[in-house]
Amino acid sequence: MLALLPRLRRFAAGLARNPADGDDLCQATVLRALDRRERWQKGTRLDSWMMTMMRNIWIDEQRARKRRGETFVAEEAGLGVGEGGGQEEAVELSVIDRALRTLPDEQREAVLLVMVEGYSYKEAAAIVGCPVGTLNSRLVRGRDALLARLGDGV
Amino acid sequence: MSVTREDLAAFADGELDAARSAEVAAMIAADPALEAQVQAHRALRDRLGAHFAPILEAPLPDSLTAPLRPKVIDFAQAREKRERARKLPRWAWFAGPALAASLALAVFLPRGTDDYAEGPLAEVLETQLVAAQSTDAPTRILLSFRDESSAYCRAYTSESQSGIACRDSQGWRMRMTGVGAVAQTGEYRMAGTPAAAVLQRAQAMAVGAALDAAQERAARERGWR
Repeated sequence: MLALLPRLRRFAAGLARNPADGDDLCQATVLRALDRRERWQKGTRLDSWMMTMMRNIWIDEQRARKRRGETFVAEEAGLGVGEGGGQEEAVELSVIDRALRTLPDEQREAVLLVMVEGYSYKEAAAIVGCPVGTLNSRLVRGRDALLARLGDGV
Repeated sequence: MSVTREDLAAFADGELDAARSAEVAAMIAADPALEAQVQAHRALRDRLGAHFAPILEAPLPDSLTAPLRPKVIDFAQAREKRERARKLPRWAWFAGPALAASLALAVFLPRGTDDYAEGPLAEVLETQLVAAQSTDAPTRILLSFRDESSAYCRAYTSESQSGIACRDSQGWRMRMTGVGAVAQTGEYRMAGTPAAAVLQRAQAMAVGAALDAAQERAARERGWR
């Protein structure tokens, strides 16, 4: 699991939209994985198992935030679209960070899993828990949005 | 025959099956615009990869690695904590609620290294069991325990003296002595206090809980070794 940490951290940073929240998410994932280690089936991929867990923790966290009435997500999404406003100015965001933030979660996770983590469509679909076709179309939409934002020339 | 955006992306990702991949490759070769799109997908992947690469290289924070580290030290700490927790309630009723550390320090003095119990006291330490002693025995054993070197130790009290002695190859070495019940009661009438102070000292010295009746009897049969 120690060997997987850098990759888990990378995915978490992309999913949570910033490294600090990413590390919190990653830590929660590690603790939950340790807690549930008996449930991991030998012979299956530990990395996929943990990525799935991380994604679920992230989604739960998002729902909890919404229930608490926090507008965190909307603000951050908006931030990516226009100029950085308010206290977020302090954090210098790269063009790519901004572009990724504008993507809906489902597109962002598809892009991250395939284009950054290098999973096949099938593996990524299994982690997300959706049909391959669904993953494929989310991926294409996410990509197109990124290309449009970053410029086709990249 | 046409090619969709999905096809192009999947082609760039190497996700098409061989037959479809060959078809798409042929169309791309014939159309520079399609070729450019595939290039754009690949460039995007490279750029995203490069963007997140520093995280892979960065040192991991303690908050992430700590839960995965071997827990040697934690086990030792947990054990100590457990034993301390087990010891306290078990002895607390015996020692009474009014343990006064300052009093214990004032009353008790550590002893030299070659000071051994003699005469009746040595006899009591060697033979008398907590469970079997009479309530009016002149010297009463308060409890027996093992210290950090695994030596058996016994806390005792009498009218004239209280203390703790531990068994080694030569006999019962006095580890701590203090005034007895009578000396204490002369001025202040604080009956029981010497015993409480001895118990507190014993608690600090002991590793594990006090011996129960069966363990004490077994230890006596082995000559406290």
